[in-house]
Amino acid sequence: MIRFGHIIISIAFFLIVCGAASGVERFPPPDFESGYELPSPTTPHPRRNIYEYIDAVVLLAALGLASYLGLKKRSRRAIFVLMVFSLIYFGFWRKGCVCPIGAIQNLTLSLFDREYAVPIVVAVFFLLPLVFTLFFGRTFCAAVCPFGAVQDLVLLRPVAVPNWLESGLRLFAYAYLGVAILLAATGSAFIICRYDPFISFFRLSGSLNIFILGACFLLVGVFIGRPYCRFVCPYGVILRQLSRLSKWHVGITPDDCIKCRLCEDSCPFGAIRVPTAEWPARDYDKSKKLLALLILLLPILILACAWAVSTGGDLMSRTHATVRLADRINLEESGKVKETTDASAAFRATGKEVKELYAEASNIQAEIKTGSWLLGGFLGLVIAIKLIGHSVRRTRTDYEADRAACLACGRCFEYCPRERVRLKETKQTVGDGE
Amino acid sequence: MKPRVAESPAPGRNGDSVDVGTANQWYQAALRSAVVAAVFSLIVVVLLIVNYLQINQCTSLTVRAERLELLKLKILDRPDDKQLLLQIRKLDLKIRQDRIQRHNFSYKGSFLLIGGLAVFVISAKVAAAFKKKLPEPQALPDRQSEQVREAIRARWAVTVGLAALGAVVLFFATRPVIDFGEQPPQKQVWPRFRGPGGLGISASTNVPANWNGGTGEGILWKSKVPLPGHNSPVVWGDRVFLSGADANERQVYCFDALSGNLLWTGNVPNLAPAGAEPVKPGADTGFAAPTMVTDGRRVYAIFATGDIGCFDFYAGTVWARNLGPPDSAYGYASSLAMYRDLLLIQYDQGAVEDEKSKLIAVNAFLGHTVWETKRPVPNSWASPIVIEVAGQHQIITCADPWVIAYDPNGEELWRAKCVGGDIAPSPIYAGGLIFAIEPYTRLVAIRPDGRGDVTKTHIAWSIEEAIPDICSPVSNGELIFLLTTDGLLGCYKVTDGTKLWEEDLREDFFASPTILGNRLYLLSQKGVMFIIEVGTEYKELARSELGEDCHASPAFADGRIYIRGLKNLYCIGRKNQ
Repeated sequence: MIRFGHIIISIAFFLIVCGAASGVERFPPPDFESGYELPSPTTPHPRRNIYEYIDAVVLLAALGLASYLGLKKRSRRAIFVLMVFSLIYFGFWRKGCVCPIGAIQNLTLSLFDREYAVPIVVAVFFLLPLVFTLFFGRTFCAAVCPFGAVQDLVLLRPVAVPNWLESGLRLFAYAYLGVAILLAATGSAFIICRYDPFISFFRLSGSLNIFILGACFLLVGVFIGRPYCRFVCPYGVILRQLSRLSKWHVGITPDDCIKCRLCEDSCPFGAIRVPTAEWPARDYDKSKKLLALLILLLPILILACAWAVSTGGDLMSRTHATVRLADRINLEESGKVKETTDASAAFRATGKEVKELYAEASNIQAEIKTGSWLLGGFLGLVIAIKLIGHSVRRTRTDYEADRAACLACGRCFEYCPRERVRLKETKQTVGDGE
Repeated sequence: MKPRVAESPAPGRNGDSVDVGTANQWYQAALRSAVVAAVFSLIVVVLLIVNYLQINQCTSLTVRAERLELLKLKILDRPDDKQLLLQIRKLDLKIRQDRIQRHNFSYKGSFLLIGGLAVFVISAKVAAAFKKKLPEPQALPDRQSEQVREAIRARWAVTVGLAALGAVVLFFATRPVIDFGEQPPQKQVWPRFRGPGGLGISASTNVPANWNGGTGEGILWKSKVPLPGHNSPVVWGDRVFLSGADANERQVYCFDALSGNLLWTGNVPNLAPAGAEPVKPGADTGFAAPTMVTDGRRVYAIFATGDIGCFDFYAGTVWARNLGPPDSAYGYASSLAMYRDLLLIQYDQGAVEDEKSKLIAVNAFLGHTVWETKRPVPNSWASPIVIEVAGQHQIITCADPWVIAYDPNGEELWRAKCVGGDIAPSPIYAGGLIFAIEPYTRLVAIRPDGRGDVTKTHIAWSIEEAIPDICSPVSNGELIFLLTTDGLLGCYKVTDGTKLWEEDLREDFFASPTILGNRLYLLSQKGVMFIIEVGTEYKELARSELGEDCHASPAFADGRIYIRGLKNLYCIGRKNQ
């Protein structure tokens, strides 16, 4: 025991000493040193295209393997190993880019901007996980997504989040998806990439704010399983809906549920649904009335949310560089500020007329305003559907994984006695075969 | 919610339990490793943060860098000072060492942090595996009431989400909204010779009509201008710019529009090529006859020597250059114009056969020539204007014998052979017509929608009586006014040149007239401002004396008049404005 601890301490100490030992650094000579010839600047070569295709092939292979390991092999350990590989390859090696989550924006912009062509690899990265989800559930989240992997690794003391709370918190992901699509469609900003919380870890650089954001997610992730995936990830919103329709899906038990209740608390992501009891007649009647009311209120809720969000259209438009520039020029022209910024000085150097800039900014504002109506309508619809969903009485007889919420991580497998029986039988079959 | 589980020995590879004592030893080792790794990671994080703050916010690094810049400036004056050179080298070395070491610390520290966190996660997971608890389901809760409670709470949670959305909306609603669809705030500016567009029309109509330079009535301030010049003031916001020059110096002055204080003086160096003949302009023209131009960020001045200077609003020289000494009979006097980022210079000189005249477009931001177009004209003193016709911009120039329009790329659009002599009055654009003047001889109205030589096709009309030789015309689009040097003021219809009235003001005039609403302002050489009603009949509204001779056209901005006398700059306005 002690020896093992000492080894760990020694390794850590060794790393520190090594770090300090190479403290003497080379540095370029002063620029006025006589006789020194500055090396000619070189431009790093762009990454070869072939590597992008290799990435796509690796993604395809990882998705296939994850699906096989989850649905056929039912091995949590193998899924874990694949997850670590994905973290290293797609996270640290490929620096977290391209990722399907950010690709939402590229695809959106390409739909709305004819001049923007989305690279084929980006499209592949966006579509492949969706196709696999449609067939096998969220195996991408289980073992391929580096964002999920890094959060999964730090999960040490899982604390269950009540379903009702999770349902409320998940609204944020829908709003994030809507805003990200709106801003990408108008060419304003790629906010998913800008506020990517883990990118600074993967790249070992980035702003302090984003680093702190990522650290907070990881710190929370020690207790709450994959907080980014469950409450923020915009791609997860799409995967959830497709996973509901998936042809095959990871199940807790390999065959029939015996309702032993052993898996009840095994999922750190709150994705196991328990069998329902018969509803009390009084509550059932009340629920029916509430359901009818909510369905009637649906269009009103959509319109109210659309109007409400549209009031924020002008503020959202400030994420667009042209609107920000027009805003700055407006301040300068009205004498509220005297100094120019790099952007406003560059604009003035173009000789473009201010009124042209204002007209351009006005058009963008109008586009975002229209988009914010649609965004509000979408959010209203989501809220209405959630309220209706919580008023619909479902009957469930077995313990089963929620198709939308289940991340196919395979943690629940080992809790199921039927799974243990299956493993034993498989072992025996292999032994008999030998 | 803590899972209801019972503690159990850790499972072995095959799912069987391992020996309790051994398991405990491994658990302890993993736990201690996790603690050590956590402490190590924490230390690295703290060091990285400290390093980050030192890189980004440490003042000592900035101070050192500033000190180095100062020393580098000193070495320019003392290039042979070995001690200073050594000092610079040492400081430079120190700064480089610091910066590079800190960046390397960050880079390597990141790896250490990842390593520490990896050890922590692995150790913690191993320790957790040894403390893994078997599921121990409790007694079944009341499913019915649990379900109902769960549904109610879920609906409330979604409603709270809706309320959060409402709160965000409230936040948005309190933020100011910018409406770019509205006209941008129109500053009261007078950016070039004869104001916006060079047309002699001011949007600032609340200008006083009565003042007296002798008693000081209506004079807000009066400031001495150090060097002479006949150029007009240009105004942008709270700044008034003038230039002045003599044979030795060329200066740009910036006055505070509120107090009249001279804020700064910018010197334009003599950049004429070595061995060039010194320029000797006529005494009536002087070295600083061309009026400056400003784009609101920078101000540009040209002098009779061909020197141009560009300054920012805070006295900083942005660039300066020399176009070559102009060959001008009376001295170079064409004022500057601007089109977007182009500074337009009508550089007419010599005789036609010298082929020295050209229109030059200079990049206002950097000072280099963007294009230049040769012009088949001799020296002239008129200033170019930029107009917009059917969505296309045209640069209109006037010199013997051509009125020529160019597009913003310097390509000629059309030309009309209709003027001659020493052209000083600048062209104007009003009522869809270009008006050009041949001194003492004729006023020509030209339709600007032609191409090529339009002499025979696009001259709408011309008149040949009481024609100015120095003052430019002015028009409100319906009436056009001509003012001769000896004070004959004529009013004509824009549409066909019909004379409506003529009045002899019995004063000499060098300054060009300006229209403010329904009032025409005429500044005589003796400093008397005639204010005439713009109408089909002559009517004098007021007459005010400055008490100092004036050659330059006045500037009108923000309810004030800025008049340059021969020695002083005057600001006329109401005190409460």
